[in-house]
Amino acid sequence: MTLPTTLMIALIAATLAPAQTPLPSATGATAPANPRVRHIIGLETVERNAGGLLSVQDGALEFKSGKAGNKVPVSAIDDIFIGTETTQGGGKTGRVIKTAAMAAPYESGKALTILMRTKVDILTVSFHDAGGALHGAIFALPIGQAEPLRAQLIQAGAHASPADKPVNGGSRP
Amino acid sequence: MKRRGVFILVAAGWLLAAPGILPAQTPAKPKLSASAIQVAMVEAGDVQIPAEFRFAVYERLVQRIGASGAFHKVYRSGDRAADGLPDLVTLHTKVEAFQEGSQTKRELTTVLGATKVDVSASVTARDGRVLLDQKITGRVRFFGENLGVTNDLAKRITKLVKEAF
Repeated sequence: MTLPTTLMIALIAATLAPAQTPLPSATGATAPANPRVRHIIGLETVERNAGGLLSVQDGALEFKSGKAGNKVPVSAIDDIFIGTETTQGGGKTGRVIKTAAMAAPYESGKALTILMRTKVDILTVSFHDAGGALHGAIFALPIGQAEPLRAQLIQAGAHASPADKPVNGGSRP
Repeated sequence: MKRRGVFILVAAGWLLAAPGILPAQTPAKPKLSASAIQVAMVEAGDVQIPAEFRFAVYERLVQRIGASGAFHKVYRSGDRAADGLPDLVTLHTKVEAFQEGSQTKRELTTVLGATKVDVSASVTARDGRVLLDQKITGRVRFFGENLGVTNDLAKRITKLVKEAF
């Protein structure tokens, strides 16, 4: 078998393979208390794309990333939206591997795109600061973990539109 | 006779090329002036666009316009500190079309799976006068996740605002 044929077979097999995402539990019981999340944008004291822990405690949504952190009082939250996105897994290491794979012959590095795809939940928290200014913090969480966190925030007293009501297509639970 | 022919040829060539060589005769637009800008939340209207895209565009606009240095102060939507400012302008962004693509398709084919957002960006004065109004498109065509379109869009809107102020 020639090399291009082998690579073609590998590519087709990878296409047929399911995305490497765990199935969300029906009860949500497997969701860890503090999921490891990526801060996409919105918290002023935390860098973009910083990884950290997101939790609800003492009446606030807290994001901790190393020494940096940010707390949003639950009473300041105006709405919570959930979305999903298929993106590249592996974090920074994944990006380095994919960049290196570009040099692979016969564009075989593209197979990595399929192998490394992962589905994430996107949690958007709309809140206002003490001066009334609107903020929107966006986080990427492991699939199936945004809904329990949203429920926790609502239980703690955060405002949120009903989950089944689409707000400009934003809430996709 | 031969010299005359050459002269006519050169003159004709010059006349044809002149519009491209000479600067346009339109006077430069005077720059607008304002010390502060308030960024309004991105409106979706009837367009179905996920909330994370609207909030990401809003957040990136606040960051980019602040970093551009075009204004002394950039206020967020709802900020009470902006209430009393006389020369405050407001940036409005309204989504007109949204097409969500796929990162996987983009990276595999390079021609399919583009994510695209069309918006109308306008700047209004305190009295409601429209100072600037333009349609802008943000795209992510090749590498990067779909939310990357918000960065492209914010970059283009910031450039437009910076050129006007």
